[in-house]
Amino acid sequence: MFFFRIFVMALRSLWIHPLRSILATLGVIIGVGAVVAAMSILEGMSARIETGFATMGSNKIFISPNIERRSGRMVGNFESLKLEDATAIAKECPNVVNVMPQITNSALIKFLSKNTNATVLGATENYSAINNHKVTEGQFLNSTDIQGSASVAVLGSKVKRELFGGRPAIDEKIKISGTLGSRTFTVIGVMEEKGNVAFTDVDRQVIIPISTAMDKLWGVKAVQMIMAEAATPSDADIEKAKEEIKKLLRQRHKIRAGQQDDFQVQAQKEFVQQFSTFQTLIGVVLGSIAGISLAVGGIGIMNIMLVAVTERTREIGVRMAMGAQRLDVLQQFLVEASIVSFLGGALGVLVGWGLATIIQNATRVFETITTGASILLALSMATIVGIVSGIYPAWKASRLDPVEALRYE
Amino acid sequence: MKRPLIQIKKLTKHYVMGDTTVRALDGVDLTVMEGEFLSITGASGSGKSTLMHLLGCLDRPTSGEYWLDGQLVSAMTDRQLAVIRNQKIGFVFQTFNLIQRTSAADNVAVPLFYARKNWTGGPALKALERVGLAHRATHKPSELSGGERQRVAIARAIVNEPKIILADEPTGNLDSRTGKQIMQIFHDLNHAGVTVILVTHEMSVALQARRVIRMRDGLMYEDRTVDQSLREELLTEGGAAPPVEEAAPRARPPMARPANVS
Repeated sequence: MFFFRIFVMALRSLWIHPLRSILATLGVIIGVGAVVAAMSILEGMSARIETGFATMGSNKIFISPNIERRSGRMVGNFESLKLEDATAIAKECPNVVNVMPQITNSALIKFLSKNTNATVLGATENYSAINNHKVTEGQFLNSTDIQGSASVAVLGSKVKRELFGGRPAIDEKIKISGTLGSRTFTVIGVMEEKGNVAFTDVDRQVIIPISTAMDKLWGVKAVQMIMAEAATPSDADIEKAKEEIKKLLRQRHKIRAGQQDDFQVQAQKEFVQQFSTFQTLIGVVLGSIAGISLAVGGIGIMNIMLVAVTERTREIGVRMAMGAQRLDVLQQFLVEASIVSFLGGALGVLVGWGLATIIQNATRVFETITTGASILLALSMATIVGIVSGIYPAWKASRLDPVEALRYE
Repeated sequence: MKRPLIQIKKLTKHYVMGDTTVRALDGVDLTVMEGEFLSITGASGSGKSTLMHLLGCLDRPTSGEYWLDGQLVSAMTDRQLAVIRNQKIGFVFQTFNLIQRTSAADNVAVPLFYARKNWTGGPALKALERVGLAHRATHKPSELSGGERQRVAIARAIVNEPKIILADEPTGNLDSRTGKQIMQIFHDLNHAGVTVILVTHEMSVALQARRVIRMRDGLMYEDRTVDQSLREELLTEGGAAPPVEEAAPRARPPMARPANVS
């Protein structure tokens, strides 16, 4: 009850100068707001990435051209991987299964007068197995389609709905525009609805034979990526599969000992590790920002508390004359400082949450997630800042000489 | 009833200011019995404020003893002094010293609060009733007149039922009519058994007590019961109103009375 009374007393004295109190806590508001917003974004990002990886399967291996970022520019041979590399890997690496070269591009898809934008994926018959994604109508690409560069296409469920509505799509002719011009494809299948797989909305995809995509649509000689799977998800087998691929590709690309690979082979597990490193890095950066802004916020609060102590010197004297002990005075100002800071923190949480929501609505890349834990963390940090920065002013107040304080004008 | 409430022996208070030592209080002895109505008077710098601070346990003497209600308070810690101030002493100030942002009742409740007592309702309202202000309990100080503010301050002083009321120029900021009303409240409290000590430089106020102590240069030079002869003396001393101290606070009283120095 005594503490409650001190609490009410503190609230009352803050209420006298609402603007001043808010200005004093601006640092805390901004600091906590930034932390909450950033944590919400990070949380949303990792949730999305985690589900992304979860839909991938854990024995995936990605082979891509070795491209490095040097002072902002991408450097490397973008065309080092050929279709034949994929065929060779499938044939000669015993620990590697389901090899699938791929190439993607976004393109305009037309059916009669209707058109839509979609991701065109040049792939092979292995796509279905490697992504665990099946047709609901018609059939998927087969090896004959690939070898013969057939002009056939399998539609993602959304693409099918947009172009055909409820009507059947099988055997209809659609047009896909590429760099070599527009080309007519026969729809042979429609995929089941699946949502996001490995960060791609597969329902907005149109899958065509990779050979057709390279030769007849875009006129390219290299594939963008080769996806494969290790025979089992055990670390040892993944390592073995990677070694086989590396050895074969170095041989095929005629890379001599000591020379750098013109490709890179990464297991999905490595991506997860990279991401968690990235996450830690962001955490450290956020932590520093939070630390700095909260320190600034603390200075603001200390400043206003020092003003309050000076301003209320006489009141302190009166309270001491009425029997307030030094500890009572100390407590009063400490509570006041932590309340300002806590309320600043609460406002900061609102600001941060609002900021995260705005960012989410503006970018629509992922959902931000404001967790209870991050709110709690932010609030307790704000309160601690208040207590720490209130200590000196409160101590100063409690050390006042009652006689001097009563005389203070 | 007739037992000493305050006993001070050879009380001194020295302040060191650079090279010089200011002897604000230079050896004062004083005994105040329970139920007395006493005034301490003197010009600025006479030591009356220092004496009041010591009597009010706001400060500690440089030397000497101060016994209050059987306890040697001159040897107490800050913490113990705070308890004494809370329990035994009620302060009334010239400028009222109310907390502006809270109601009259909340102001009155401040000593209850530091006594860890129930501060809501009861005692605070009763104290306000005793000074005739119960109907203004929810008003803030800014909504009250000067006399009403001083009555709230008196209610605050008596809410813990102290033995002593220490009033420092309680009528100094009030017009004479309101001042009289306030003095009447002190008389009523004194009749009810509370010891009242009035610190003032206004002789007309000081003479309303039953005993007057006059101070100069850190010493008590007169300690007398108020009677007709004293009134007449002081009247001739100061001539017609305003009294000497009020007209020229820095001036020494014209008649030294070494014989009366205790």
